[in-house]
Amino acid sequence: MKKILLNRDFILFSIILIILIAVGFANPLFVTPKSISDVLTDTSILIILALSQMIVILIRAIDLSVASNLALSGMLISLLSTVHPELPVYYFIALSCVIGTILGVLNGISIAILKVPFIVTTLGTLSIYRGLIYFVSDGKQVYSNEFSEDFLALIHVKFLSLSFLFWLAVLVFIVIYILLNHTRFGRNLYSLGGNPDAAKYIGINENKYIIMAYSLSGFFAGLCGYLWVARYSVASTQIAIGFELTVISACVVGGISVMGGVGTVLGCVLGALLIGLIRNALPAVDISQFWQLAISGAIILLAIIINTKTEQRKEKTIMVEN
Amino acid sequence: MKLELKNISKNFHGVKALQNVDFQLQENSIHALLGENGAGKSTLVKILCGVYQPDSGIINLNNKQQSIPDPSASLSLGISAIHQESVMFDELSVTENVFIGNHITKSNGLVDWGLMQDKTNQLLKDLEANIEPNEKIKDLSIAQRHIVQISRSLIHDADIVIMDEPTASLSQKEINELYTIIRNLKKQNKSIIFISHKLDEVIEVCDEFTVLRDGELIKSDSIQNTNKDQLITYMAGREVNQIFPKNDVIIENEIFEVRNLFKKTQFKDINFNLRKKEILGFYGLVGSGRTEIMKSIFGITKLDEGEILFKNQKILIKKPSDAIDQGIVYLSEERQQLGMTGLMSVKDNINMAVMDRNSNFYVMNKLKEIKNSSAMQEKLNIKVSYWSQLTQSLSGGNQQKTVIAKWLSTKPEVLILDEPTKGIDVRSKSAVHEFMGELVEEGMSIMMISSELPEILGMCDRVVVMYKGLIKDILNVKEASSEQIVKLASGES
Repeated sequence: MKKILLNRDFILFSIILIILIAVGFANPLFVTPKSISDVLTDTSILIILALSQMIVILIRAIDLSVASNLALSGMLISLLSTVHPELPVYYFIALSCVIGTILGVLNGISIAILKVPFIVTTLGTLSIYRGLIYFVSDGKQVYSNEFSEDFLALIHVKFLSLSFLFWLAVLVFIVIYILLNHTRFGRNLYSLGGNPDAAKYIGINENKYIIMAYSLSGFFAGLCGYLWVARYSVASTQIAIGFELTVISACVVGGISVMGGVGTVLGCVLGALLIGLIRNALPAVDISQFWQLAISGAIILLAIIINTKTEQRKEKTIMVEN
Repeated sequence: MKLELKNISKNFHGVKALQNVDFQLQENSIHALLGENGAGKSTLVKILCGVYQPDSGIINLNNKQQSIPDPSASLSLGISAIHQESVMFDELSVTENVFIGNHITKSNGLVDWGLMQDKTNQLLKDLEANIEPNEKIKDLSIAQRHIVQISRSLIHDADIVIMDEPTASLSQKEINELYTIIRNLKKQNKSIIFISHKLDEVIEVCDEFTVLRDGELIKSDSIQNTNKDQLITYMAGREVNQIFPKNDVIIENEIFEVRNLFKKTQFKDINFNLRKKEILGFYGLVGSGRTEIMKSIFGITKLDEGEILFKNQKILIKKPSDAIDQGIVYLSEERQQLGMTGLMSVKDNINMAVMDRNSNFYVMNKLKEIKNSSAMQEKLNIKVSYWSQLTQSLSGGNQQKTVIAKWLSTKPEVLILDEPTKGIDVRSKSAVHEFMGELVEEGMSIMMISSELPEILGMCDRVVVMYKGLIKDILNVKEASSEQIVKLASGES
């Protein structure tokens, strides 16, 4: 029982519940099924990106280029859809994923083969990918009336009165859960991040895993490129700007250690949900708009402190009782 | 499986770690590999594990010549090592650590957790170990970690298991359990290389032994043909063959004293004093608490109890700067991580600890800095190619001298050196020794932690021998024999 109570995921879940109840008292409208379903839809893209970021963080790296990757993939398919509105939507989704994956592989190659540190590489590609959007779009926006109906329709499909975005996030959660917990690939990511030297001793090829992790991160950024553009019906140079930081905070709140090798898929999702909840709840409880950003930062910090303080490490002992 | 090493040599930057060493491991045998720190045991083990490549010599397995280019080659040849340092994954479960890199998969490609769990359970039961397969490694005791490593080598179907001081930090009960496991392994036709400093246990457990000293083979024989005293003579019985240029100085009055130092789980009942112009040695096995005591004295970690007296006055040291202000400095063993900033010049490193003395109202006085650093460079003979050369590009010996220069700039009265000559070449080593001699002549007092017995015997006036966080004895070096010191340090007598 004590073990469950000290479980990080359980604590995070409790924090979410407490916030939900507190906000419910302040504004009962916020806890209606409709409103909660909106929060879930709104958080879905964050969940997907946090899960793919988690793969990278597990091996002691970070991908700062996800938001730029998302925006570039989204812009490219939007431009194509204005020229070829007749193409089916699945074609655009697949294409967006492919573009995202290529951008991710480039990150991976730079880090694994060219040995450019991951911070430098992804900071660089953050600007490069963002800059390319200006280049391909001439700085112009693609507006909602320029997309085909088909392109925008899929995102509004509902199942059991929950949105397509939500169900897609559930699917990604299941896939990544299986990938990280039930495949050799996933388990080796944990060992590589947990103890890189020891991982080499057992013959894990570090470079291969770096490239794979960044490809996956790119793939999901590409997928979210379509989702973002379709959801907001607009593609511009400014979409998702700075979103990589929200994604990384979601991972950190979810207990994914930036030291590598530690973190659960469930925790990652809960981290994203907590951040999504705070962002949606603060406007609902009449907090001045000027305060919202600072307060949401403070809540995130508090959640991390509560969550990490519960884990105490044992001290190394020299003296032995004989 | 029969293992034979012939004429193995290995050099590190001119230091001969192994010289023409022969080693034979018979089938179905427990073979003790003995020697002091620095004798070459771990180099030999690392060659077997594929971490180092020998400069010359051959490795035969079952009369077939083999090369071991990397760790995974070593594993696939059936050699598995249980290391002292952690090669485990703290955050992962026991099951996963046992199967790491070797996960069993089902026909659909997914990892078969159920089967791995069952196998681990069975394995742990066979070893009569009380460990839950789904516990995380970080929650296990050191003894339990060893058992997990042993299970891992069994899963890899290793024929040769190397155990590097497996009993070093275990209680007597755990040690007995481990012996049972080792004997069970032997019954399963495994050969075991057993490294230990505890000679009683070597005689109890092992069938054969090999003693190395200074990288050379001294003796290899059956355990039945020897006894403990003989083994000690093989290990320690060397003449002090390096030059330790310490002049006789007249030791003056007591300058520093500690009383009843205690830190939970680390050390207790620590009492010793240091006299002016004395070199006081600290000898013990790695992990016997020597460094921990010095870190507490220097204010890096907090003492639970005890008092420190300096010049007969009780002093309170809460943080390193308190100690430095008193005139006590500590040179860490990990000079690269803790002692210097590799990306700064030698001059900046030397001046790092005395910024306040070399500045006027927070503005650095360049002239004073240059004066200090060039005086130090000359005094310690630090060789740099150009004046702004980065410290990280210097040799280990010159780096060590730079760290010493940094601390000497603070003009200390008590100098604590932690393994001051570890990993540096012979010439720099004797330079450091010579310099220590000069310092005490000038009136400084030194405490030196060293794991090298000749260094202790050659340099120190008295030696504090430690074992598992306790002081076993404080000996006058002139009257002590190396056998006596080795005995005390391994917890015997």
